[in-house]
Amino acid sequence: MNATASVKTNDRELHLSLKERVEVIRSNRYFLMIFPFAMLALMIVIFGVATQGRFFKPSVLKGILSQAIIIGTCATGVAFIYSNGNLDISIGAVLGMASTLGVLAYNATGSVSVFVLVSVGTALALMAFNCTMSVVCHIKTITVAIVVTQIYGAITTLLIGGAGKIEIPYEVSSGMEDGGFRYIAFFAYFLFCVVIYHYTKVGRELRFLGGNESCAQQTGMSNAKATYISFLMTGLGVGLAAVFSVIDVSAVSVETGNGLGMDVMLATVLGGMSIFGGARSNAYAGLVGALTVAALNKGLLMVGVSSALIQGIRGVIFLALVYLNSERQKLLPSRVQF
Amino acid sequence: MPEKGKVLAEVKDLCKNFGVTIALSHVDFAVKTGEIRGLIGENGSGKSTVSSIIAGLQPPSSGQMFYKDKPWRPKDVLEAQEAGIGMIVQEAGTIAGISVAENIFLGNYKRFKKGPIIDRRAMVFEARKALEKIGVTDINPALPTRMYDMQERKLIEIAKCMYNDPELLIVDETTTALSQTGRDIIYKIMHDMADAGKAVMIISHDLNEMMEQCDTLTVLRDGVIIDNIAKADFDPDDIKQKMVGREIKGHYYRVDNDGYKEEVVLKADCITTMHSLLCFDLELHKQEILGIGGLSDCGMHTVGRALYGLDQVVDGQVVLTKDGTVVKNAQVAFKNGLGYVSKNRDTESLELNASIYNNIASTGYDKNNMGPFISPRREKAYVDKQVKALMIKCQNAYQPVRALSGGNKQKVVFGKWCADDADILILDCPTRGVDIGVKAAMYQLIYDMKKQGKSIIMISEELPELMGMCDRLLIMRDGEVSGEFFRKDGYDDRTLIEYMI
Repeated sequence: MNATASVKTNDRELHLSLKERVEVIRSNRYFLMIFPFAMLALMIVIFGVATQGRFFKPSVLKGILSQAIIIGTCATGVAFIYSNGNLDISIGAVLGMASTLGVLAYNATGSVSVFVLVSVGTALALMAFNCTMSVVCHIKTITVAIVVTQIYGAITTLLIGGAGKIEIPYEVSSGMEDGGFRYIAFFAYFLFCVVIYHYTKVGRELRFLGGNESCAQQTGMSNAKATYISFLMTGLGVGLAAVFSVIDVSAVSVETGNGLGMDVMLATVLGGMSIFGGARSNAYAGLVGALTVAALNKGLLMVGVSSALIQGIRGVIFLALVYLNSERQKLLPSRVQF
Repeated sequence: MPEKGKVLAEVKDLCKNFGVTIALSHVDFAVKTGEIRGLIGENGSGKSTVSSIIAGLQPPSSGQMFYKDKPWRPKDVLEAQEAGIGMIVQEAGTIAGISVAENIFLGNYKRFKKGPIIDRRAMVFEARKALEKIGVTDINPALPTRMYDMQERKLIEIAKCMYNDPELLIVDETTTALSQTGRDIIYKIMHDMADAGKAVMIISHDLNEMMEQCDTLTVLRDGVIIDNIAKADFDPDDIKQKMVGREIKGHYYRVDNDGYKEEVVLKADCITTMHSLLCFDLELHKQEILGIGGLSDCGMHTVGRALYGLDQVVDGQVVLTKDGTVVKNAQVAFKNGLGYVSKNRDTESLELNASIYNNIASTGYDKNNMGPFISPRREKAYVDKQVKALMIKCQNAYQPVRALSGGNKQKVVFGKWCADDADILILDCPTRGVDIGVKAAMYQLIYDMKKQGKSIIMISEELPELMGMCDRLLIMRDGEVSGEFFRKDGYDDRTLIEYMI
């Protein structure tokens, strides 16, 4: 059709308003990929200047990386659930219970492999349970998550007992740390996720189902299967993150995993992903977002912002990003046509 | 009564861009009182854009508008409604989850407020009056809108629009969703308004309808007004040529009389569904284009859904005769080489926020793989082939489908099934809301598929296309086949209508 040609010749004559220019940039597919990295870079520069370079001290960066790796692993996994159009905020509680059972198993057997296997196995089992509740009983995933968060938390508290904390020998955690367990495990998991997400049928189906379920079903996709896969992928990540969090402090406590759900959500949107699922989803969002969240937490603390205020600032950023990211339906349906 | 022939609404030098895409380029025209003005043009020519700007759905990029001799720049639909401009939109304009009455008074609840409480009885009462005003009595305004089908929902929208006594009514591609009864209602409203010295703007792809109903036709192409034609000068060939900017070649529908094979590929064996169908039988042959026609509530849409496993079959079964596979659900259907184009394009056939690329690629996850992985190279070839073959108007394949015009969206839907290479295609209203250029391309495509040995079921409310395309045509009434017609025997539309009603 000759329309394409005429549009092209008219390009030069066009006078776009500022709003339209913003819209053109926003809908550019590369913009969505670059934006999160730009945010991260900007934050590093700002904190670097504000702290007169103290932000770049190795101990600070290491702390950020430690936090980011836990949030990032969970966020990478949870991206599967989000892109399928579901929400699950129970991962903090799942992580708490997985690390507790892992530590108990280690203390009973003295085997690091058993520790890792029990942690990961627990997280997988709990996520599978969450998923079954919503797929079989048709309860919304978010509702299930709210209920099971209480249950898992209570079980963890019971398991840990009166001391409120169970330790593992320092040699074990430092041994795993020196052996590079965290980085190897994280990158293996991350690569696995990227491949599944972008280059396999299940990953593609997840996103499509999250975007339009009835269309996806008419194209032969099964929502139940995709939901299970998304929860199991998340379970695997949360299980690994449970191990990382034990390595970090050589112990598990009733506090382990608290607030993680919120950090993970913030990381996901900072990474440029929509928590409403669908086409605007990718697997690396969690990692970039986790680095940003960890840098933000640490940086604000270093410039002297109180931790209560940090919570508030994170909340505002979260709301602003969700607002910018959502494609709001107008009240009355209309048609955009060209 | 207002004087006829006075300019009611006027646009001057109107432009609209969506990003770098030009939808309207320096458009001038005026609607006069007592006039029914038709806007006609291919998909993407700017008809809907100009009318939605007048109705306050979106602002223009530049240019002036006047309404009743005063500058006109509505900030939203409600302002336009209050000023007397009402619009019935192409896609569903009702919300399924709320009652009919609430839909009719959407955004206008204030008048029923008694303190903090909304007086629902008064609202339902007024809604009933609104429906009666357009001659509809069988819709209960107290019931949820989701209980009504598309045709009835359109009528609800019309009632909503007419309740405010608009002076300018804009009807955007509404009639294609309506059966003859619905169309008659809307035609009557249009002519009554024109007689009363008000004005109507109508957009439709049905050229015959436009020539019958309109006083003047404005032809748009690529955002530019090509011509304004008065009723006395209507000539279908001339209009078509102006619409597409080139001569439309001879055949619109197929002209051959080739038959189909004896072999049955798909069989419905005494199927009963929750709604509409009771022990319904159907056989589809290899290389056959089987048409199913009737009034919109005759059950033909349910047949399509049931055959593809979307509507539950409570008794009997749908069988693929080649290997005896029973189609229990859409997954089985898809896996065994069936394809389905839904009547509800935007809600069921496309993921609007995803790109053209991802929509087309969605049928090929099992075909473009290398072991367990999807090969990006093969997938790209899979998509590019369709974008090229169907001449989808887009900047690139990574553009979200939501930004495309109706006809181009439908091309994407066809693209995904052509790419899938399905052996049996079930098409429910495949040409709804698309212009003659796109229609011609789709008919050609359907015919090509037949020649490649595929079997097609074409469900449609438009008799001409069924007569023009089908080897065999079933007419349905009240969930049963009331007549069967064969292309080789020949038949006329009057006979068909007798079997429909």
